[in-house]
Amino acid sequence: MTPANSDPQHWSRIKESGSAAGVRTMVWIRRRLGRLPFQIMMVLVVAYFYVAHRLHRRASKTYLARLWQHRFGRRPRHPSWLCLRHFWSFGQSLIDKIDAWSGTPPTLRFEGGARETFLAAVNSGRGGVLYVSHVGNIEICTAMSDLREDFRATLLMHTYNARQFDEVLARSTHRANPPEIIEVSEITPSTAMKLGARIAEGGFVVIAADRVPISDSGRARTLDFLGHPARFPEGPFWLAALLRCPVYTIGCFREEKGYRVDFERFDDTSALGRRERDAWIGEAMQRYVVWLTRQCESTPLQWFNFFPFWLDSSPADTSRDDETPTT
Amino acid sequence: MATTALEQELKEMIIDALELEDVTPEDIDPDEPLFVEGLGLDSIDALELGLALQKRYGITLESDAESSRQHFANLRSLAALVEARRAQ
Repeated sequence: MTPANSDPQHWSRIKESGSAAGVRTMVWIRRRLGRLPFQIMMVLVVAYFYVAHRLHRRASKTYLARLWQHRFGRRPRHPSWLCLRHFWSFGQSLIDKIDAWSGTPPTLRFEGGARETFLAAVNSGRGGVLYVSHVGNIEICTAMSDLREDFRATLLMHTYNARQFDEVLARSTHRANPPEIIEVSEITPSTAMKLGARIAEGGFVVIAADRVPISDSGRARTLDFLGHPARFPEGPFWLAALLRCPVYTIGCFREEKGYRVDFERFDDTSALGRRERDAWIGEAMQRYVVWLTRQCESTPLQWFNFFPFWLDSSPADTSRDDETPTT
Repeated sequence: MATTALEQELKEMIIDALELEDVTPEDIDPDEPLFVEGLGLDSIDALELGLALQKRYGITLESDAESSRQHFANLRSLAALVEARRAQ
């Protein structure tokens, strides 16, 4: 029902790149041939995607142009180079993802009390909802389950493709304490009950709130993101309101050496009444977008959203910088 | 059919969980649909009800939209579900 959902370019209508065979091949190369051939392979894959997928390239350039405008008040100086680096940053995140799943523990650096907040959250035994975004590497976050045995994560994923990627990865690699993955196209009472049970056991439900799923029957709100209107899903916020539990934000961002982990308290919905919900959802969504903006500002090339995101994808943002002939 | 103790308990749970202030347990007909018609509950209420059941009786459902629709059809089916699951 929402404009974004009927859009043929909506992210969920586009097959996520990375077929099962492809993922298995990459894991095999990493395991048998080592890191260098694997990286060379990834460079080729990224170069191919950059050249072959105009839609992703344009989405990336729109995002980068809007972020630069928002942050520096001007357009990027070398948009195509920046865009290529954005693509490579995604390739790098796949390398890290495969490493993390293979049991090579990433170096994690907790910043500004993040470790204390994380430990307190796990130790409280109350579980909670963890909001994530497509900035940084969610998989690294869940690799924290290898560090703390009693940190149990359940990932809510929207698409079959994404789940398939992770399942192939799970089968081809070996991990002691892998996160549980639940594929949802819409939240049904049975899903809610399962998630309620996980939280009651002290587990954490991980959910990204920066993509609108297809079958969410129009439950989305338009918010200003980097100065332009974009649709954000209400679902993750309804879920947190209904589950009545602590809510946190978590992000993992690649730095020169290892990953920086950001873990903050977001809210606590335990005492949230039914009548306050609607107001809370509006206010919480606004705060989520502020948080998302901050993540994009701190690591501009790590927002891995290569799909048209804004309602006004004005061609002026991209066409000028798109050097590929379009005729 | 007379209202069982469990049905009475569930009626109170529904009223409590959904804050249905102007509804009394007697207003809920065990055979009347809970959603859309009948009490006029919506999909968010269904989630709320599911979570209340989970919290109170420790029940979870198989992830199957059709079966959850059957279980949540009316109070009678809800009571049957609780009866069957909590015995396990």
